[in-house]
Amino acid sequence: MTYVIAQPCVDLKDKACVDECPVDCIYEGPRKMYINPDECVDCGACEPVCPVEAIFYEDSLPDELSEYATVDREFFAADPSPGGASSVGVAEADHPVVRAEPVRAAG
Amino acid sequence: MRTELALSAKPLTAKDFKSDQETRWCPGCGDYAILAAVQGFMPELQVAKENIVFVSGIGCSSRFPYYMNTYGMHSIHGRAPAIATGLATSRRDLSVWVVTGDGDALSIGGNHLIHALRRNVNLKILLFNNRIYGLTKGQYSPTSEVGKITKSTPMGSLDAPFNPVSLALGAEASFVARTIDSDRKHLTEVLRQAAAHPGTALIEIYQNCNIFNDGAFDALKDKQQAEEAVIRLEHGKPIRFGADGARGVVRDPATGDLKVVDVTPGDEAGLLVHDAHAASPLTAIGLARLADPDTLHHTPIGVLRDVRRPVYDTQMAHQLDTAVEQKGKGDLAALLTGNDTWTVGSSS
Repeated sequence: MTYVIAQPCVDLKDKACVDECPVDCIYEGPRKMYINPDECVDCGACEPVCPVEAIFYEDSLPDELSEYATVDREFFAADPSPGGASSVGVAEADHPVVRAEPVRAAG
Repeated sequence: MRTELALSAKPLTAKDFKSDQETRWCPGCGDYAILAAVQGFMPELQVAKENIVFVSGIGCSSRFPYYMNTYGMHSIHGRAPAIATGLATSRRDLSVWVVTGDGDALSIGGNHLIHALRRNVNLKILLFNNRIYGLTKGQYSPTSEVGKITKSTPMGSLDAPFNPVSLALGAEASFVARTIDSDRKHLTEVLRQAAAHPGTALIEIYQNCNIFNDGAFDALKDKQQAEEAVIRLEHGKPIRFGADGARGVVRDPATGDLKVVDVTPGDEAGLLVHDAHAASPLTAIGLARLADPDTLHHTPIGVLRDVRRPVYDTQMAHQLDTAVEQKGKGDLAALLTGNDTWTVGSSS
């Protein structure tokens, strides 16, 4: 069980969470940020700083965002523990659920 | 690892070590990272959960036993080493861990800590050092830098800080290491070596208190700064750090002290080679004190000392066996009512 980032982050990526995370486990995709479930230590620092309330504890996701329960975990399926987001650039592709979201204009 | 430890019947995972208690540390606290690393490491011990005990004192870090699905005791301020000493000595089938902080271990518990270390009881002591009193909301601690401005020291603290690693080495500790909360790989490796060590192991863990002393160890965590600040010790290897190992540690031939130098191709052979098993603790103490207490530059992390010497609980068990062998099984009641007793009462 860990924290996950849901739909409100898509096309917004404020990244306030990245500054707060003490273990550098929030990685960047083209359209959304992703929490690595194996590196996350469940400290909850990210949740209150998210300006759009996109971060939830896995079992507290509202029903309308339930498809995001496994998105972050699946995003890291190929490399479960890359060892720190700051040493990894923006990922090449988002998770299919994110790719399927309609594009939101900035602002 | 001691042969007396009861092994787990089935392989365990990190999840087995998570308790059902709600974790009550401030969001972002370094304690979460340490907890996750310890829970992740515990299965490697292969010891049954029922034979593992975490004993803590008082402070934020001392909430640790609640979150471990093992036996545990949130004990008396500064006295966790004393309680754990009794447990480790009388129950040699247990893996006993102490969780403490810079306040708990070095202020009120300073006495107990040094005596546990000199006795070499089979304990693994995790000292979370955040250089502040967190639970009482931000007063300076025995590891705070001189001039620390807090609620209790509005003009800056006057106390010279302890260097916990140096203190432990001076107290005859047989295993001393330093690591950092957010470096899970390093922290886990240090736990692994401590667990394998017979006797007391002291691990100082630099831990960020993001509420009352945020960023205290940023110099060691920031990727740009860390290269110049952190010296990663590895037994048997020359002590080098910085970009491309451009800097190194040598012994000054004039004073015998250790110092940091720029490494040039010709003088690589003169670099100090780290020897954690050295009989004398002097070089380890020199390494422990290399860091600048204010900037934290030249902070060695890793196992500074790992030497074998008689373990207290093994010796005590042997002594008890010998006593029974030579004098027969004791009789406690007879001892208590023996010759050296007095009746207190009126003499008239």
